[in-house]
Amino acid sequence: MTMIETDTSSVPARILKSPKHWRNRKAASHWRSGDEEFDAAKFGMWLFLSTEVLLFAGIFCGYAVFRLLYPEAWANGSHYLDWRFGAANTAVLLLSSWTAANAVRLAQLDKQFWFKVNLVITIVCALLFLFIKLKFEYMLKLPAGKAPGTFFSYPMAHDPHEPLWWSLYYVGTGIHAFHVIIGAIIFAVVLWRAVRYQSYGPTQYTLVENSALYWHIVDLIWIFLFPLLYLIH
Amino acid sequence: MSQDTNTTANSNLDWDANDPHGINPHDDDHGHFIADWRMQVGVLLALLVFTALTVGFYNLEQWVETAFEITLPKWINIAGAMSIALVKGILVAAFFMQLRYDKALNTFVMLFCLFCVSLFLGFAMIDLDNRGWIDENRAVEIQDGGVGAMLNAASADEAYSIIVGPKVNTAGMSLVHYARLHGNENEHGLLYYREKGKEAEFWAHFYEGHATHRDLLDEHNFFEQMGFGHHDGTSSANKSVPRHGLTPGLFSDVAPVTDAHSSSHGSSHESESETESHDDDH
Repeated sequence: MTMIETDTSSVPARILKSPKHWRNRKAASHWRSGDEEFDAAKFGMWLFLSTEVLLFAGIFCGYAVFRLLYPEAWANGSHYLDWRFGAANTAVLLLSSWTAANAVRLAQLDKQFWFKVNLVITIVCALLFLFIKLKFEYMLKLPAGKAPGTFFSYPMAHDPHEPLWWSLYYVGTGIHAFHVIIGAIIFAVVLWRAVRYQSYGPTQYTLVENSALYWHIVDLIWIFLFPLLYLIH
Repeated sequence: MSQDTNTTANSNLDWDANDPHGINPHDDDHGHFIADWRMQVGVLLALLVFTALTVGFYNLEQWVETAFEITLPKWINIAGAMSIALVKGILVAAFFMQLRYDKALNTFVMLFCLFCVSLFLGFAMIDLDNRGWIDENRAVEIQDGGVGAMLNAASADEAYSIIVGPKVNTAGMSLVHYARLHGNENEHGLLYYREKGKEAEFWAHFYEGHATHRDLLDEHNFFEQMGFGHHDGTSSANKSVPRHGLTPGLFSDVAPVTDAHSSSHGSSHESESETESHDDDH
């Protein structure tokens, strides 16, 4: 039986006595045990994640259908994108996925300081991802007229279906970026509660676990969006 | 009663890593998996290496195509990129999402979801592949898409008209050609260059991009003048070839019906598509 040493000497009494501190939090009364509550929450999260996969499957299916119908528009489209920004964003998301996984482990081990550090890095990576996306991609392409559907006004396009490519590009990356924003907000909530109440520890880390799962699926979807949009031509 | 013992166990902080919730003090085998940090670092490094690999593969392929002046079949590009993405995805799901150490139920949910996705994608592909079987006209592209016809169509009743974007009147031109003519605030279109008497400059820039064939708006045939008037094979879904000149057969099936029928009714089949359709009738 391994005991985890919990040094509480440096924790202010205000936090230790808070009902929101992880030591004071209990499973809701309708659960037989905290374990059941945790497993049910996690199973529910996996069900939700599967609907997320189905959401993006619609985009992937649209990609496949239109690529088969209009191969030249798709080939041109991917050549308009710079793989370096895609690869940079992939690296940023992988790093943040790792820090999210770290955050779960550190909460399980009650290493509050490093837990918070990893949360901060995850949030910073999310913002960096959005910054690269906006600054080097959307903000360069939209003024040039490489815009979706009827907003399209790029004079040098070669294929009549290129507005369709841009529609798919902005919908795909846009919905993904929306998920990144939501993920960053969830991690900000976790960070706030960790700083204010030390809400997460070895017996109470359901929200950390589930937000990390959410973040991993966001990463997972980018792992497929990146080659589809930037590398396949 | 069991509720009471749980509460005592929690408040005493008499817990261990194998029983973090303090629920099953007699069940020593039970516990949540705590990942090893070395494993996590290893997975991160593997993911970064695979990212470098997929980018390297893409660049290698581009280099081979330019250095040896060959066109690689497109399945190489797709298979390379997607197989690496699949490996990365499995790494993330198995280790970061801990499916490998988790309850099998969670993996089952995700696998069932992927099964549904495969049905979704599979049937869409089967549909696309077999359209010509039943209705000949669905197998081919009917019009060169992106035509802003529906945007320009007058609504029967203004009150029920749906505006899907900024009001664009392309006068029956495709969106792409409309954009080519008018440009936007940041990039000038053909009209601007014509006004300045620098039309050649526009077409040089346009055709040097990745010229396919003479553009509809290229009235003075700069395409031929600039030496793009030859062709190199055609693109398909599995192979995209940047090419010059008209796509062979591009206009063969849009010849006026009246002429063809009056002169050679039922006697000769000039184009390939006509012969094919005839064979299918039997």
